Amino acid sequence: MPFSFMTQAMETPPIGLALEYAVYAEGIEMVFSTGDQPLKVLKGIDLKIKTGDIQLLMGPSGSGKTTLLSILGGILTPTAGSVCLLGQYITALPRHQLAQFRLQNMGFIFQGFNLFPALTAAENIEVALNLKGLHGHEARQQSLKLLEQVGLGDKSKSLPSDLSGGQKQRIAIARALAGKPRLIFADEPTAALDSQRGRAVIELLRSLAKEEGCTVVMVTHDPRIMDIADRVVYVEDGMISPEPPGGTSSGINTHHS
Amino acid sequence: MVSIARKNLFQDLPRFIVAQAGIMFAVGLVTIQTGLLNGFTRSSSLLINSANADLWLASKDIRHLDFTLPIPYKNLKQAQQVEGVERAEALITQGSVWRYGVEGTATAGAIAPIRIIGFDPEGSLFHPAPVSEGNWDSLNRPYTFFVDKVDLKTLDVKRIGDGGEIGSYKGEIVGLTSGIRSIVSSPYVFTSLPNATAFLTSAMVQPKAEQPAPLALRDENRVTYILIRAKPGVDLEQLKRRLEAAVPDTKALTQSELTSMTQTYWRDSTGVGFILGLGAVVGVIVGTVVVGQILYSSVTDHLREYGTLKAMGSSDWFIYRIILEQALWMAVLGYLPGMGIVLVLGSWVQKTQAIQILVGPMTAGGVLVLTIVMCCGAAIFAIQKVTRLDPAMVFKS
Repeated sequence: MPFSFMTQAMETPPIGLALEYAVYAEGIEMVFSTGDQPLKVLKGIDLKIKTGDIQLLMGPSGSGKTTLLSILGGILTPTAGSVCLLGQYITALPRHQLAQFRLQNMGFIFQGFNLFPALTAAENIEVALNLKGLHGHEARQQSLKLLEQVGLGDKSKSLPSDLSGGQKQRIAIARALAGKPRLIFADEPTAALDSQRGRAVIELLRSLAKEEGCTVVMVTHDPRIMDIADRVVYVEDGMISPEPPGGTSSGINTHHS
Repeated sequence: MVSIARKNLFQDLPRFIVAQAGIMFAVGLVTIQTGLLNGFTRSSSLLINSANADLWLASKDIRHLDFTLPIPYKNLKQAQQVEGVERAEALITQGSVWRYGVEGTATAGAIAPIRIIGFDPEGSLFHPAPVSEGNWDSLNRPYTFFVDKVDLKTLDVKRIGDGGEIGSYKGEIVGLTSGIRSIVSSPYVFTSLPNATAFLTSAMVQPKAEQPAPLALRDENRVTYILIRAKPGVDLEQLKRRLEAAVPDTKALTQSELTSMTQTYWRDSTGVGFILGLGAVVGVIVGTVVVGQILYSSVTDHLREYGTLKAMGSSDWFIYRIILEQALWMAVLGYLPGMGIVLVLGSWVQKTQAIQILVGPMTAGGVLVLTIVMCCGAAIFAIQKVTRLDPAMVFKS
């Protein structure tokens, strides 16, 4: 059912939906202006992701899945539609409130790791904790604990340049988990890793997410990690597709909007 | 809290060093220009500091210390009669001609400008200090004088005992002062009142066959100032009025009034304040550009990380603080060595050239504030880049 996100944003989401779905998006449209021609990247996407699920967004390059991830993560504002995260409609929130919401509830993992090269492994995590209001000794202890969790307890003083790609991504996961977020958004977290390290990273993310009760939304091209996902959706030409483009689903629950 | 600013700054050491060199240059230029202006201003009235008088009585036409008309010596006696005057002494300051006299030197016979300062060596109201060598009593001998150590080279003499000609009379150096030199005046030659009068009334063409013994000053002789010490408790303003009434065609000034009059004249009439100020502005511009470029390129290099912070939910101010902290570190770490170099340089210039680069606490503090403002101002370019940063860029590979 089409609706304006501005009017929808003023309403309170049904309590049942807020509890059952960590992510509840309806009618998401995104139009970019490129020169004279507006480019419609997302065309009315509806998506519900259950709390605690690992949800994959798959699809070919340019299909709009990263744009969708950015909108679901509250980083981009859609042209139309609404996003409700953890029972809170975020699409109409003022910029600073949205940033605060992200800070309190979300963690992000990036394809390129995006670690501060001048900071040690522990300090990279401490920055995230500092942002969330944890400082000094407490932040240091928490960052070391997170490094232990991702198996890099002995690398706390290493700079990113001294670590392998897999180790960097594990630090990025530890950073994303800082402050116990309820939602984690990951953009191709294994793209820069070989298959073995990629699988190890995803296994780690899965186990930690389950342990912490996080909902994980992940964009990936990597079919080898489909089997650890709870659900998979395919994005093609800006729309959700029930089946992989040109093929059948792999037995994983696919989402039907 | 983790200092991203400090870590980012020291991560790229060559770039950091370039930035610091730029800031040091700016700090150095601004401080030297300001110090020179301070030194110039102070130097222009330096001679006044040698006096221990409450008032200076001069011609009513006085413009500043070095530009006034002579007054008759008899004014000394008139001033001494005025109620409230404890002591009065005459002072002569007048330009003359130095003729290089050391035989066999390349400059022998050539002339140079000097300023003769004639005073009472046995008096108590005027004593140039510090004295490096010699005794003021020596000035009671005919045609003797003190010069300053820094002027030895200018006057082409080397030591006590060397001689030269003033006007057309030969004289002998009997003592040396240390560091009494004005940027706006010719080298000082200190001598007694009779010697000064003899030198100043000598013919300006050489040679003079006979050199008569200097005579004690008479009423009709001319002096430049009458220095006055007031009796304890006397109101100086009232004394000034009494002196001006009792001694015709004169003006009485306190030491600070004469100092201010002289400093204002030189600062305003020469445009030195503008010229040195312009140099300081150039320093600030260069420093701002260097710091701005370095901070901008540093932010550009770390844009993805700043985007990550924004995506994670950091406020813009959290990132601004990182950039401003970087600017502050750059300011302080550029200021300290820059100021250190200026102080060492200033000390060397003072010692070798007697030109004062006067850097007092006010100047040092002011330059520190200016450096911080300059660096933080330069950070605005980098802050603007972060302000425009779209956090969605973090998802672009």
